Amino acid sequence: MTTCILKGRKMKRTISLLIITLLVGFIAIAGCSKKPANKEDKGTKAKLTIGMSQCNLGEPWRVQMNADVKMAADKHPEIKVVYKDAQNDTLKQRSQMEEFISAGVNLIIISPKEAAPLTPVVAQAFQKGIPVIVLDRRVLGDQYTCFIGADNKKIGKAAGKWIVEKLGGKGKVVELMGLMTSTPGQDRHSGFRDGIKDSALELIFEADMKWLEPDSRKEMESALARFDKIDLVYAHNDPGAHGAYLAAQAAGREKNIVFVGIDALPQEGQAYVKQGIMQASFEYPTGGKEAIELGLDILNGKKVEKEVTLSSRVFTKDNIDSGGQWLKD
Amino acid sequence: MIDRANTSQLLKMTGISKSFSGVKVLSDVQFDLKAGEVHVLAGENGAGKSTLIKILAGVHTDYQGQIFLNSQPVRFASIHEAAAAGISVIHQELSLVPSMTIAENIFLGREKCRGPWLNKKEMTAEARKLLTEIGLDVDVTRNLGSYPLSIQQMVEICKALAFACRIIVMDEPTSALTDVEVEKLFTIVDKLRKSGRGIIYISHKMEEIYRIADRITVLRDGTFVGTATAEELDRGKMVKWMVGRELNQQFPRHKSLPGQVRLKVNSFTLPDPAGKPMPAVNDVSFSVRCGEILGIAGLQGSGNSELLNGIFGTYGSNTRGSCELDSRPYKPTTPANAISRGISLLTNDRKANGLVLGMNIVHNVTLAALKKFSPLGWLQPNSESKAAAEQKEALNLKAANLKMQVDSLSGGNQQKVVMAKWIETEPKVFLLDEPTRGVDVGAKHEIYELMNKWTSNGLAIILITSEMPELLAMSDRIIVMHRGSITAEFDSEQATQEKILHAAMGVQTN
Amino acid sequence: MIKEESSAKLTKLSSERWFTSPTARAFGALIIVFALGLLFNADGAFYKWGTHRDMLRAVSVYGILSCGMTLVIISGGIDLSVASILALTAVSFSLFTIHKGISTPITILACLVIGALCGMFSGAVIARFRIQPFIATLAMMVFARGMAKWVSGGQKISTAVQQSDGTYKYVNVPQIFNFINSKVLGDNITVVTLIFVVCLIISWILLVKLRYGRYLYAIGGNEEAARLSGVPVGWTKILAYGMSGLFCAVAGMCQAAQELQGDPEAGMSYELSAIAMVVIGGTSLQGGRGGIWLTLIGVLTIGYLEKILSINAIGEDKRLMLTAAIIIAAVLLQKGKK
Repeated sequence: MTTCILKGRKMKRTISLLIITLLVGFIAIAGCSKKPANKEDKGTKAKLTIGMSQCNLGEPWRVQMNADVKMAADKHPEIKVVYKDAQNDTLKQRSQMEEFISAGVNLIIISPKEAAPLTPVVAQAFQKGIPVIVLDRRVLGDQYTCFIGADNKKIGKAAGKWIVEKLGGKGKVVELMGLMTSTPGQDRHSGFRDGIKDSALELIFEADMKWLEPDSRKEMESALARFDKIDLVYAHNDPGAHGAYLAAQAAGREKNIVFVGIDALPQEGQAYVKQGIMQASFEYPTGGKEAIELGLDILNGKKVEKEVTLSSRVFTKDNIDSGGQWLKD
Repeated sequence: MIDRANTSQLLKMTGISKSFSGVKVLSDVQFDLKAGEVHVLAGENGAGKSTLIKILAGVHTDYQGQIFLNSQPVRFASIHEAAAAGISVIHQELSLVPSMTIAENIFLGREKCRGPWLNKKEMTAEARKLLTEIGLDVDVTRNLGSYPLSIQQMVEICKALAFACRIIVMDEPTSALTDVEVEKLFTIVDKLRKSGRGIIYISHKMEEIYRIADRITVLRDGTFVGTATAEELDRGKMVKWMVGRELNQQFPRHKSLPGQVRLKVNSFTLPDPAGKPMPAVNDVSFSVRCGEILGIAGLQGSGNSELLNGIFGTYGSNTRGSCELDSRPYKPTTPANAISRGISLLTNDRKANGLVLGMNIVHNVTLAALKKFSPLGWLQPNSESKAAAEQKEALNLKAANLKMQVDSLSGGNQQKVVMAKWIETEPKVFLLDEPTRGVDVGAKHEIYELMNKWTSNGLAIILITSEMPELLAMSDRIIVMHRGSITAEFDSEQATQEKILHAAMGVQTN
Repeated sequence: MIKEESSAKLTKLSSERWFTSPTARAFGALIIVFALGLLFNADGAFYKWGTHRDMLRAVSVYGILSCGMTLVIISGGIDLSVASILALTAVSFSLFTIHKGISTPITILACLVIGALCGMFSGAVIARFRIQPFIATLAMMVFARGMAKWVSGGQKISTAVQQSDGTYKYVNVPQIFNFINSKVLGDNITVVTLIFVVCLIISWILLVKLRYGRYLYAIGGNEEAARLSGVPVGWTKILAYGMSGLFCAVAGMCQAAQELQGDPEAGMSYELSAIAMVVIGGTSLQGGRGGIWLTLIGVLTIGYLEKILSINAIGEDKRLMLTAAIIIAAVLLQKGKK
């Protein structure tokens, strides 16, 4: 019954002031922020255009992938890269691919969100004569130029073997797993198990920390509370290993535990190894650099392999300054 | 005119009684309706008209008495049964959906279907036919919300017509209409009458009643007073029927000696809060003195409650006109402002907006004057409890423990808590909207005594009450409102129930 | 007659009063969870003080969010943006201290202001434009998260600072981070937990000691009655959301310090945990009832539950089901008879 309209002028004025302050504040902060590492090249007229279709830029690993692409592309002034971010939306990625096709780019690099829904549009580009490099996640069939990716199972196995060697074949190990409903999580787990199967290693505690550092820290605290002796922590990603380290540090036990993780991004895993927080980090390469190099080969008319499995490195204190050590297959 | 002697009786209601929680609202009421007639149902607020209509419409299923439809006894178990039997009620609050088209609205709930599919073509054609029948030329495929309220009301009537209904009940249909639209409505009513339907028409406007009625039935305090044709029942007699009660001197109103003018209101106008085209309060001027009780009488739709709320600032500053408080200008802006100037309003619905039911007595009592009990924003629970205890004494509040939640108190005690809350603000003008509604007899008298005490201390009171005896006894002066304007002003000695009711029904007096 | 009625009610009240009060019911759930912990103590891990201290540390950030959420829920609203404001301030905090080297007091002040402004903005939209709190704070949730990602460039802001040539320079962890991460009172309690306690006390003062708190309860209980009693509804609401934003800022700084980085993705779904903790404690989502100590009980209940599931290494799938079951049980316990 009562329709009250707060027409107080005082209220209006204060609210407008609030809005202006907020906007000014944000602009000020934005001015302070870093420039994102994947801004498009503003340069001289380039001859060849490469379209880079990324499924999302929410994961820092993918931001790194784009950064690797850019770094490699910068070395070749004759190519220009156009970046499109699908914000983890399959349909958006499909339309962005279609945009690349109608713009007539010379080459496409795509890291697809899912295989089946994006297979047709990749095939469409391929059949139109645009070479397509599929990066990190697969599409179905064979209507693409080449696939570049790393193998999580192999990396997990390599980590397992390295751990066995490090601990001399026996010891108490905690495994902190990534989201076990995701393929990387499952692969890094099964690969690891495969790698340690012939040893006397004891897996005393395992938990799903969903790739998140705070969750990993909580799980490690529980493990520390329960077990007086822990020799090593194997985390499916570096943030997980870091969280476990912090928990151990808070309990004063970090010096007695070996921390192993996967990803080895320069500002994360590699930094942790350098700082002595982690003893080993296994690279899960983004393939950005390889994509550009292979792309150039394709554009120059060379024939390339259909399947390129990226090699991975392990970073330890010994080899961190010399660029890590390549893993044998 | 149709020969009444030969027309069939559509409806007969006999011995209708109903109580709500032990309070009898209808007592042995009878009513009948013939085909082709407009039968006006008249009575003051609270006479029982809407309860009777709700029983007919199937809203209330628990009642004593009998209803006969075309001489067949019926007892509706739901609204749907009543509607299916051909009874259509057009309430004051329209039951339409603004975002749907006119055709969709007309067939709402009773869509014409071919199997599982909506038969839109047939509905549109039917709707168009109905509208032309009543002389309305509008596009039935446009959204209802894009039409003015008066058209919407007509569509509501069409809805009633769309369903082979025999009995149509109209509750104050002209309250939102301009004169031109009222005429249109009367034409439609006439058409309906000629088609053999029976119309029950509720109105508070004297002129309207006599313009349209074939017969008039009067209810008073839940009882049946009488039925007569419009020719037989003249205005004076009808009013006497509506108010004719014994006035017992149970009211302890002391003689007052009013002082200075406390509140003066000039040409106060308030647009309708619900968006109706007519202003709720239209160019009202009056004044009230210290120590005086000014009664404002009015039936439903008179705008008296809106007037008090408008002065208090409930609707913001969306008002026109000027006010003076103790000779200093006062403009309604917000309730907080009114309170700070010394104006308090006791609303007519304490549960909805008078009390915070989940809070205890102390907190409710101190709510409006909380600044007094919290210097620099810091609460002083001891001073709050003390003040609440004092109020409990002064108002004779019956509660075992002041820390009880107010929703466990009786109606009368709840009302006292609200009054305590306002007295704590130390008001200069106290606006009371139905202060004794839902309050038992004992508490009522206590409230009257309190009003005496307050006024003898210089407080000015403006009182709205639907109970005529209370109004006549407690007011020093009375003004009467009808549809937003003042129609009469009396001193307490001059006022009689009849005069007040005449004025309340639109007859300009003085 | 009325007097008899009231005194009968009073006798009933005093004998059953404590057992049916909201506090007792909230305790009920906590006691059950604690008992489960004693039962399933994972080889004695539950008996170590370290476990409890760690649980408190882990739950403190959620607890700080719950303080603000309590204020907002009592006023009859809800705040879905708490997690996003947490992320925004975590990122800003890291940016200012690690990358820009701005002094600590100014940084803390700036972050508090950011949080408060976001909150007050939501509050203003709700109060002035009558937009539902759910919708308004949902919009702020999306907006603040977007701001966090924009300000940070999508990357975590850590002690690895990217130089213009692409390499990374490692700076020292700021003093304030170390302080927040440290333990006091003989290593028995973390600073984060103490910050949580301070937030609880501030909330208590606001709700119980100040006139402002009474206004919050009145608005939540019956907004129209409050308005017509002269309560400044608009400002009270704006302040409630502003305080929530302020608490989010505190939580964001604690989160950044604990992770040693500002993560724009931080805090995902924390808002649901905060709401769950407030509701399990017994504060009604309808508003007008509840209190900060009830929220504390709710925080501890969920904190202990998670800890017990963790030390017993229960698989993720069972964890989700058990947590849901306990939440339902706790809420059912709350219902009881009025």
